[in-house]
Amino acid sequence: MASIQFNAVTKRWGDFFGVRELDLAVADQEFLVLLGPSGCGKTTTMRMVAGLEEPSSGEIFIGDDLVNDMPPRERDIAMVFQNYGLYPHMSVRDNIGYPLKVRGIPREDAQKRIDAAAAKVELGPFLERKPAQLSGGQRQRVALARSLVRTPRVFLMDEPLSNLDAKLRVTMRAELKHLHHELRITTIYVTHDQMEAMTLATRVGVMNKGVMQQLAPPEEVYNDPANMFVAGFIGSPSMNLVHGDLVDGTFRAEGVAVPGIGGGSRTGVVLGIRPEDLRVVGPGQGVFDAPVYSSELTGESTLVTFNVGGRHVCARGDRHFRCEIGEVVGVAVDPQRAYLFDAATENRIRL
Amino acid sequence: MRQRALAFGLLAPALAIVAFTTVYPMLSSFWTSFHILNLSRSIELGRFIGIENYTEAFNEDPEFWQVMRVTAAFVVLDVTFTILAALGLAILLLRQGFGTSILRTLLILPFAMSPALIGISWRFMLNPDFGAFNRTIAAVLPFMRNTDYLASPTMAMGALISADVWHWAPYFTFMLMGGLASIPPETQEAARIDGASDWRVFRDVTLPQLAPVLLVAIILKSVFALKVFDSIVTMTGGGPGRSTTTLAFFAYHIGFRDYQFGYAAAVAYVLTAILFLFSLSYMRFAFRRTA
Repeated sequence: MASIQFNAVTKRWGDFFGVRELDLAVADQEFLVLLGPSGCGKTTTMRMVAGLEEPSSGEIFIGDDLVNDMPPRERDIAMVFQNYGLYPHMSVRDNIGYPLKVRGIPREDAQKRIDAAAAKVELGPFLERKPAQLSGGQRQRVALARSLVRTPRVFLMDEPLSNLDAKLRVTMRAELKHLHHELRITTIYVTHDQMEAMTLATRVGVMNKGVMQQLAPPEEVYNDPANMFVAGFIGSPSMNLVHGDLVDGTFRAEGVAVPGIGGGSRTGVVLGIRPEDLRVVGPGQGVFDAPVYSSELTGESTLVTFNVGGRHVCARGDRHFRCEIGEVVGVAVDPQRAYLFDAATENRIRL
Repeated sequence: MRQRALAFGLLAPALAIVAFTTVYPMLSSFWTSFHILNLSRSIELGRFIGIENYTEAFNEDPEFWQVMRVTAAFVVLDVTFTILAALGLAILLLRQGFGTSILRTLLILPFAMSPALIGISWRFMLNPDFGAFNRTIAAVLPFMRNTDYLASPTMAMGALISADVWHWAPYFTFMLMGGLASIPPETQEAARIDGASDWRVFRDVTLPQLAPVLLVAIILKSVFALKVFDSIVTMTGGGPGRSTTTLAFFAYHIGFRDYQFGYAAAVAYVLTAILFLFSLSYMRFAFRRTA
């Protein structure tokens, strides 16, 4: 078990920056999720920990070891790949046992540990099969068992659930969480799925364009986003972001006026409100009226989209709420739950 | 039904050409192999002697077994060196680096040359008086000056194999590069993380996944090696003695030098049988779908 430390790490290919000046400290036993859209640098960051990519500059430590020039095999890590990276010509047993085989662990001891790892992910009956004879979920378990078969200092997981169907993903998510609770091994987990990030992480690192946007516990990333990117990326449906101006503490945009925001007067701001912080009320009872553009029942709630000054604004309503498309309703806003951003820098304006 | 008739009608000219240029000569030479046909006496097919031409080759002609041994040695060494060279080159050229795309383009050049031309060029380069090899090697090892490489059975065989490896390695390099590129990189990365050294990644993960392509390459190269003819004619003429006479060249020699066409046809059919076995295994491995 070990901590991981990045000191001003940059990875560039020619003029393209994969990761830019990253400082990051992952505590021992932490479950850090790196979250971001594709190409944001999250996988590159993880691959540098694995030793599959070399940083262009900066230092990476695992525990007390500077690992910049250390080959992957000496780093004492385990990794689960998005496409599992199983050895297609080996049986499940040999796949799981490979890390032990290359380390010269005696056969008998190795068999015991393979059986134990397989049992942990419920693969017992499939040990003699080849990966091609397994389902996606089972292959995922083999990859997991292969990383569990010895106790590495660090677990790395590169979108391990993205190739599974939605139902299995939820089950495996819970299993991963339980495994981490049981083994307490420092884990870096890369995903573009915010639900996985929110549920699994001790801390979430939101990345974009090679830069860490915010590094904080899930509830903080959700409730206190550092900038417009984080605000828009986390949450589903995503946060409503409306461009406008602040006039004497009232946010004004075409067709919208939200009083009680505070902060005096300022031009070029963006108001952010999550769909769940908007309420659908009768006409004239909210801060603005708008025609309903569409209404979608998701089961647990009803998503209502309005057309406000040519933009779509989404509200999450009660699951019993019903309305007609085109019907004019009022929208109430809790100004305490509104976020303000600078339209130019996209940074949060804290009031 | 009319569709089928039309399809056959359109294919008929091509089939007729194949029948005339391939099927007829094959059957005709097969028939010839059971007869005496000595062109120095008569152009008419001689007496029917059953399988006597074959029994003569296997039981009475010491040259035939000598040629079989030469052929076996040539095929084994030629295939081994070609595939090893191709595998090495493929691994090196697959890496992205400065100049690899230029090198890949240059690599195709030997393959673009006619085999006969290669033989002639190599013969020139091996010339004991003014050949490039002689000059180069003598500069480092003076006692090797004016060595006639093609006059020694071992070195003639070595030269023949070298020329053939030089000719064929590029083709198989591309084939193996394709095979290597189709191996999922995660499997190799996973092995590196699991603790394997570069050599073990290659041995445990890369090679087993390359095996199907490698097998096809080996079978294919064996077939090509069995058929080698042009470079023997232009470089060694099968000599010195019979030391570089392989089955294909032997059949040619019996036929077109000794005019024993019946016996030549039988020898050629021994080669055909061997090639047929290789082709069968090629079909089996190349078109097998992985389970």
